[in-house]
Amino acid sequence: MAGTIKDKLKAFELTPFLVLGLALIILVVFIAYPLSKVVFNSFIELGDAPTLGNLTLANFSQFSTSNLYRSAFFNTMTVGLFCVLFSCLLGIPMAYFVAKTETPLKTFFLTLGTLPLILPPFVGAYSWILLFGRQGVINYFLEAAVGIKLPDIYGAPGVIIAITMSTYPFIFLLTYGALISADPFIEESAEIMGASRWRVIRTVTLPLVIPAIMAGALIVFMRSVGNFGVPAILGGNFYVLPTLIYFQVTGFFNLNAAGAIAMVNVVLVAFAILLSQWITARRSYVTITSTTQAARISSSKLLKWVGTIFCLGVIFFSLLPHITVILTSFTEGWAGTRYPNKFSLQNYRRIFEIALTPIRNSLFLATTATLIAAVIGTLLSYINVRRNLRARWILDLTVMLPFILPGIVVGVAILIGFSSGLLILSGTWMILVVGFFIRRMPYIFRSTTASLSQIDVAVEEASSITGASWLTTFRKITLPLMAPGILAGAVISFATLMGELSTTVILYSARWKTISVAIVEYLFSATIGPAYALGTILIVLVLSSITLANRILGRRMSQMFKMV
Amino acid sequence: MRENQNGRITLSIRNLSKIFRGRQDQVQALDDLSLDIREGELFTFLGPSGCGKTTTLRCIAGFEKPTSGAIDFLGRDFTSIPPFRRNIGMVFQSYALFPHLSIFENVAYGLRIRKLSRREIEERVNRIIALVGLEATQKRKPSELSGGQQQRIALARALVYDPQLLLLDEPLSNLDAKLRVFMREEIRRIQQQAKVTTIYVTHDQEEALSISDRIAVMHAGKVSQVGSPDEIYENPVSIRVADFIGQANFLACSARGDGDPVLTFRSNEEITVKNSSGNIRSFRDREGILFVRPEQMEITADPDHPNSLRGEVKVILYLGSVVRYYVEIFQNDSPQEILVDQDRRVRGVGVGDPVAVIVHGQEAKLFPTEQKQQLDQE
Repeated sequence: MAGTIKDKLKAFELTPFLVLGLALIILVVFIAYPLSKVVFNSFIELGDAPTLGNLTLANFSQFSTSNLYRSAFFNTMTVGLFCVLFSCLLGIPMAYFVAKTETPLKTFFLTLGTLPLILPPFVGAYSWILLFGRQGVINYFLEAAVGIKLPDIYGAPGVIIAITMSTYPFIFLLTYGALISADPFIEESAEIMGASRWRVIRTVTLPLVIPAIMAGALIVFMRSVGNFGVPAILGGNFYVLPTLIYFQVTGFFNLNAAGAIAMVNVVLVAFAILLSQWITARRSYVTITSTTQAARISSSKLLKWVGTIFCLGVIFFSLLPHITVILTSFTEGWAGTRYPNKFSLQNYRRIFEIALTPIRNSLFLATTATLIAAVIGTLLSYINVRRNLRARWILDLTVMLPFILPGIVVGVAILIGFSSGLLILSGTWMILVVGFFIRRMPYIFRSTTASLSQIDVAVEEASSITGASWLTTFRKITLPLMAPGILAGAVISFATLMGELSTTVILYSARWKTISVAIVEYLFSATIGPAYALGTILIVLVLSSITLANRILGRRMSQMFKMV
Repeated sequence: MRENQNGRITLSIRNLSKIFRGRQDQVQALDDLSLDIREGELFTFLGPSGCGKTTTLRCIAGFEKPTSGAIDFLGRDFTSIPPFRRNIGMVFQSYALFPHLSIFENVAYGLRIRKLSRREIEERVNRIIALVGLEATQKRKPSELSGGQQQRIALARALVYDPQLLLLDEPLSNLDAKLRVFMREEIRRIQQQAKVTTIYVTHDQEEALSISDRIAVMHAGKVSQVGSPDEIYENPVSIRVADFIGQANFLACSARGDGDPVLTFRSNEEITVKNSSGNIRSFRDREGILFVRPEQMEITADPDHPNSLRGEVKVILYLGSVVRYYVEIFQNDSPQEILVDQDRRVRGVGVGDPVAVIVHGQEAKLFPTEQKQQLDQE
């Protein structure tokens, strides 16, 4: 019945198992190991040896004794909840207007509505001060014209506004996607039974998109409680957990205390995930889309114009900081005057004298990390989709963890993991690449998983039965078919890594400053001109890489974000 | 017409079992299956979905590992050889053409892997594409082809490297009715020209009857009957096979008589059948189930016709080549509907009319009552 051992060996294909092993080692070394070390170290006091006997809650007790810690915790909650609320207030109506009314400029809204996701929010954060700060230009004109003085932008309001303007697209795009893919016949059947338009929206349309809104709200919450750059620039004395972590790392080099704060930050995120799962599990709807017919559109003229003005307003307001960055970068000394009065390239001349290295560093680090993430992420998604692993959820969770965790927490984990022990990388470019790579691999993992799930297994079986080994099949069939997914994920990784701040700020060293670190340093030393020139260069680099990928893939920008 | 009745055995399946284990449950897809397939024949696995026909095919291809048992191909044990070393050609239900490659490259794929020279690849691809009649499509992508064309390219891709075995997994199920009939004739023609041993999987009994040299009718992971299409249709071994293949009427009756047997039905009507087979005799003085095909019966408007069952016409369906009458006959108290096929409409018979159904019992067969009860319970 069974063949000889030699036959068995011949039947056994080694390559897929080698790949599986390699991928798993990378997961363990670069994700599981540093993350578990953070957890462990957060229970050890600074200076104590990391042994079981030294376990203590001392690092966490700060949350009950220190006012700073307590307020940082509540501030983080406040930021998270208000950002979710305001993102919904902007994103849901905008999605409805673009998907369901005769609003013109739909592609324009979708494309510009995606931009805030790619543009690093901290770059524009300072613009809010220029515009609405105590000396801000808009504030000044408002006071001169109608005598209104706006409240101070520093602290909570500024942080919440600036983050919301960079997170509302998650709600907008996800809700829009759900609205246009919903079966129009469901709404029609409600209408034929006698429901009015508002009743249809309230009882059919909205409930059907609630899972999408929930998914968007969760991402918004995760992003806003993990944001470091905006509160660092606009917060002033308004501390949140990520800025507190930074404070511990750079101020005291107390990684254990930072780890403990990071844990609390993660608990917030985990709580949000559980809450959203609990809500969606209780109201999940399975709709069978039996038709490819487009969503039904309201023909109301009123909605059309209200919608257009609303969308234009949101888009203008959300891109205003970045427009300000670009304009300011071509002026001399605006920050000191009411409004720009002299245009020149002076800022760019200074950048080319002093800041070429950060640009080179960012390009090198982002490219390297993206390439590694593309290779490993693709292999892992192959294993995830095609190999029938029992422990698939562990693989999925491990890969996705760095996506869920705040960037600064990942930074702390990598720093703790690789500043002592067997593999010491701190101070080198490699530690940045590791941090970048594990944070962006989920993007590639998601997008390649999506494109792989679309490939009929029979296509690979056809190749195999025709005589191709696993490796040949992977190389000649699977990989080319996954290519669009890999490229889409890689471009988003690269574009967002170019301006990555929250992980970088923990891991960079004097020799390896990135564009984002340089911008923040300039902003802190109030040299706005060069900061904004560098910011403009960053914006141009990010937008051109995305545009190029869109050309190659023939997709719209908003479509590329479907899986993220 | 049917060749290779005594051809050499190429593929031998011995005691094949396959159990799929889920988290909580397990499914026995194949249950101790044994079969021999002869050189050059077109052998069909026929059965309803879930009967194990596709699992058998995937075990032969190597995509599934049998839980136990062996697949022997020309003396080699297949189970220890990975799919890509088995030298098999396969056509998938979804065709599974490589969407990113041109038609030429799709067909050439197996040849490139076998590292043939550029000239030979071109020659052989051209020859096989001509055989399936699609010379003009070489530069196109699969998505630019119609379903029937994709089907033929899939066949060409599977045959171009002269596989020792061709596997076809429900290849026609995605085509419309007319194309299905055309393509099954094409497949038969191409298979005969290529002289390749072929295993065909389908749930469509008409397709199986028309295309196969031999058919294995499967049920619940087991083979119910193996035989030529004629044998399967005319001489099914069980009510299950008789019921699955074609249309059939099943009537409870008992047999007696020494010469031509006399069948007594529950309505106490009696008919004498000219049938000398031992099958009916073995049911002497016992109740059995009479199996008779619709075309082995006839309708007459004369209610007193001898050797007939009385009934009433309920529905008349015009099917083109035949006219199908649904006649309600009385079996004791309970009425039963039977199907009678006539070449043309019977004069003077309409819906609601009383008729007599004549049974031409030369090929009629009796089955044990338990088989019918079991089938009815499922």
